[in-house]
Amino acid sequence: MQSNERSERGKTKEMKRDQRSSQRECWSGRRKKTNKVEDGEAVPFVSPSLFPLFANYYKSNKNLLKTRFKESGKNCYMQMREKCQENKVVKIVDRFSPVKDHLDRPSFLRRLDFLLNRHRRRLIGSLSTLQLRSSIRFLSDIYLAKMVQYNFKKITVVPNGKEFVDIILSRTQRQTPTVVHKGYKINRLRQFYMRKVKYTQTNFHEKLSTIIEEFPRLDQIHPFYGDLLHVLYNKDHYKLALGQVNTARNLISKIAKDYVKLLKYGDSLYRCKCLKVAALGRMCTVLKRITPSLAYLEQIRQHMARLPSIDPNTRTVLICGYPNVGKSSFMNKVTRADVDVQPYAFTTKSLFVGHTDYKYLRYQVIDTPGILDRPFEDRNIIEMCSITALAHLRAAVLFFLDISGSCGYTIAQQAALFHSIKSLFMNKPLVIVCNKTDLMPMENISEEDRKLVEEMKAEAMKTAMGASEEAVLLKMSTLTEEGVMAVKNAACERLLDQRVEAKMKSKKINDHLNRFHVAMPKPRDNIERPPCIPQVVLEARAKEAAEMEKRKTEKDLEEENGGAGVYSASLKKHYILHDDEWKEDIMPEILDGHNVADFIDPDILLRLEELEREEELRQADVEESDFEIDGEELSEEQKQHLAAIRKRKAVLIREHRLKKTVAQNRSTVPRKFDKDKKYTTKRMGRELSALGLDPSSAVDRARSKSRGRKRDRSEGAGSDAMDVDDEQQANKKLRGRSRSRSMSISRSMSRPPAHEVVPGEGFKDSTQKKSAIKISNKSHKKRDKNARKGEADRVIPTLRPKHLFSGKRGKGKTDRR
Amino acid sequence: MPQGDYIDEHRKRYGYRLDHFEKLRKKKAREVHKHSTMAQKSLGIKGKMIAKKNYAEKALMKKTLKMHEESSSRRKADDNVHEGALPAYLLDRENSNRAKVLSNTIKQKRKEKAGKWEVPLPKVRPVAEDEMFRVIRSGKRKTKQWKRMVTKATFVGPGFTRKPPKYERFIRPSGLRFTKAHVTHPELRVTFCLEIIGVKKNPNGPMYTSLGVMTRGTIIEVNVSELGLVTPAGKVVWGKYAQVTNNPENDGCINAVLLV
Repeated sequence: MQSNERSERGKTKEMKRDQRSSQRECWSGRRKKTNKVEDGEAVPFVSPSLFPLFANYYKSNKNLLKTRFKESGKNCYMQMREKCQENKVVKIVDRFSPVKDHLDRPSFLRRLDFLLNRHRRRLIGSLSTLQLRSSIRFLSDIYLAKMVQYNFKKITVVPNGKEFVDIILSRTQRQTPTVVHKGYKINRLRQFYMRKVKYTQTNFHEKLSTIIEEFPRLDQIHPFYGDLLHVLYNKDHYKLALGQVNTARNLISKIAKDYVKLLKYGDSLYRCKCLKVAALGRMCTVLKRITPSLAYLEQIRQHMARLPSIDPNTRTVLICGYPNVGKSSFMNKVTRADVDVQPYAFTTKSLFVGHTDYKYLRYQVIDTPGILDRPFEDRNIIEMCSITALAHLRAAVLFFLDISGSCGYTIAQQAALFHSIKSLFMNKPLVIVCNKTDLMPMENISEEDRKLVEEMKAEAMKTAMGASEEAVLLKMSTLTEEGVMAVKNAACERLLDQRVEAKMKSKKINDHLNRFHVAMPKPRDNIERPPCIPQVVLEARAKEAAEMEKRKTEKDLEEENGGAGVYSASLKKHYILHDDEWKEDIMPEILDGHNVADFIDPDILLRLEELEREEELRQADVEESDFEIDGEELSEEQKQHLAAIRKRKAVLIREHRLKKTVAQNRSTVPRKFDKDKKYTTKRMGRELSALGLDPSSAVDRARSKSRGRKRDRSEGAGSDAMDVDDEQQANKKLRGRSRSRSMSISRSMSRPPAHEVVPGEGFKDSTQKKSAIKISNKSHKKRDKNARKGEADRVIPTLRPKHLFSGKRGKGKTDRR
Repeated sequence: MPQGDYIDEHRKRYGYRLDHFEKLRKKKAREVHKHSTMAQKSLGIKGKMIAKKNYAEKALMKKTLKMHEESSSRRKADDNVHEGALPAYLLDRENSNRAKVLSNTIKQKRKEKAGKWEVPLPKVRPVAEDEMFRVIRSGKRKTKQWKRMVTKATFVGPGFTRKPPKYERFIRPSGLRFTKAHVTHPELRVTFCLEIIGVKKNPNGPMYTSLGVMTRGTIIEVNVSELGLVTPAGKVVWGKYAQVTNNPENDGCINAVLLV
């Protein structure tokens, strides 16, 4: 009997597993981790300020994005091609408004085309505009994320000409076969040498291409970096060097092509070898000619790697002014950048960057070299660095003014500078900072100077956009640290205001706002409901704060009791004991010849108790197991029932298995396409009644209900109302709803209807959501109707992969052969 | 985060590390030994490269050493006698160069033999016919062997039209056709890439000349209008002869010396 039961149990377990697995199949679409992108979800478009974030996003979801790209890229490519051929590039651009800003760049389109072209062969998928759109978005995201990499530290080293040749030739030597004999067939000989020539060429090409690709194109990076690099390295020279590398690459390719052609006519080993030597020699000569360019590029690379990593899109505070007015000292006060400060002009020779926090946000502070007041053409490289930063970074500008004149320039001169570069301050929050007030207080300056300062202030107020006068002109002394924080705060505050305002004005704000939702309970009445904090907690907090202030540290104690060397801190002070008096007790280490420590176990009593409890439990278990359900104790009738139930179960399982084998590899057809009409409510009723259950309610529920006549419904409501007289109104409303939907549908009544907008879903209004639902339903309607395979179905591409079912199996794993 | 030359910055502030110069000295002293072990250990092409470099360095060093030695050591003044200088007792003698006067015919012959040009490569290795041509079998059973393919570099003029392939005896494969040559001007010591106008003479035989085969020693005519040479009369020289100095089929290019 028992063994029988066990097998029964086993069977049920199997059934359960089946069920579970089928369930799993249903859910497989949603089984991925939540922080990853799901298949159906649209890849969000990334605004420029989120680029660093996107880079992470891209990294973590790389594989999924790749597959999606594979699926949709081909269509994208085909359509793009078509459209481009029809010269309607602009039209597509219009349709994809989110990427419009970047799509109209020819470089971007070229890049897109290139990407698509590269993956063209591997792509599969079906056509749809939506996919096209999403893939373009996706590509643009990748592109932008790539473009925005201002990390010049990752450029690979450019070897000089001689090293370059050595690298390439030794690689050819190492990685191509080296043994050849005269007796070989001529084809083999030719192939041997052709391979060498081609391999060398590909290596040259690869290496030169990395140089060309990795060095930033000055017109494609952010204009700030573009100009900075131009100022530092001269654009023409830079372009020339890269151009030469490019020409060398082409020449080498051409040489390889020519020599491979000649090798086809080689008729002896000697001749083939001569041709190979000549080919490699010519390639190396071409490379040797560009040695100076390579050296130049290497120098630039080293310099670029040491440029401070300034992010041109983030919150930035820019410090500018005459040389030696205290810009770097302020920088050192505000950030942790350890900038060199010296008492002579032009200590800072390039841009320096530091970071500071304000209101839990990180701000980038840029220290610029001093600027002299002279015509633009006369400015040297050092000054041009600061001009570039001023011109291209959308930052809060701090114009430093040395009111003491100890920098060697009068206030009048500094004011002149201010007026000559004020065009660079347009549309930027500008703060005029009067530094060195410790040398000369603001009140002591002469009348003319005061006038000049007022003039500058007025100028700054023009662009202030509602900022108060205090936030435009500030006094400060970096020596005494007076007013330093005020300056920082003012600048950050104004920058933040301006950025928020700009964001609110932009078009993209709607996309963001649709995703935001701040839940605010509707006010029921006019009573204020502030957060309730118990009085005790408040008191405790206050006490804690007070204690924190005056808590005596060990150092204070030391000072009081005679200073270092005299005072010895008591280690026993913080012992946690039952009685505080025990703290100072002398404790013996050895007592009666025993080590005291051996006998100390603070929770020995607890352990004992635990052990006893466990034993009790064990005993109880043993007693319980004595009562076991035995077949013997059942009555005759019960036994019969049991047998009947088991028989029925067995039949069910058998049927299920049969069905399963038949239904394998076939999509399950929904009930309504059940041609045999096997499953009817009648049958269900019969079966249920055979089980001894009342089938009426189940049958009732399974039948779909039509609305029926209006009067019937109202009468029904009326009859209900007789019973529940009080809540008549509310109930009537509920009853009045259409009953067309079958009640068996599991959508709960308390949930809002599907088309209602739930905040945070990203829909503007319910019409938009409705149309979205409609489109999505329509897209799979036909497929559903014919019970075809869909995207979500599990797919096993090859049931019996050839490589796993042919040949001998070695001693390794079973899935390799 | 590094900003600019952070090592320099650090040195400016805190000076060199205490052991900096000691370390530097030691590193320098060890470098020689390191290099030596490297040179002894490395195999294959790396080893060859190192050996070559070392050899070059050593040779250069020896040369310079010798130069220095030369300048410091004393030696006998060289008593080279100028050519044509005669001792006093021979001054008034008449000397005849040749004992026997050559007959006119012999002179003529010699001149003929030397050819019209004084060429830089007077002698070339003769090229056998089976090296010059490859036999191509034709016919349905591949039994006919009258077709030949030239295996050397050739020049085919721009106006060349092929005969019907059935009757074409010599095939000059297009992969081995050249139209440009690197011509060196021997006096100016510069090289130009010039267009070939025609093959003047192939030393291996008139047939090769007519086929336009270019082997070592072949005289070709090149277009020198780029060079801007003028005749004594003041006309611009257009074509000039040059002699091929390399094996074009082995090098994949034609190098030639201009005959002036």
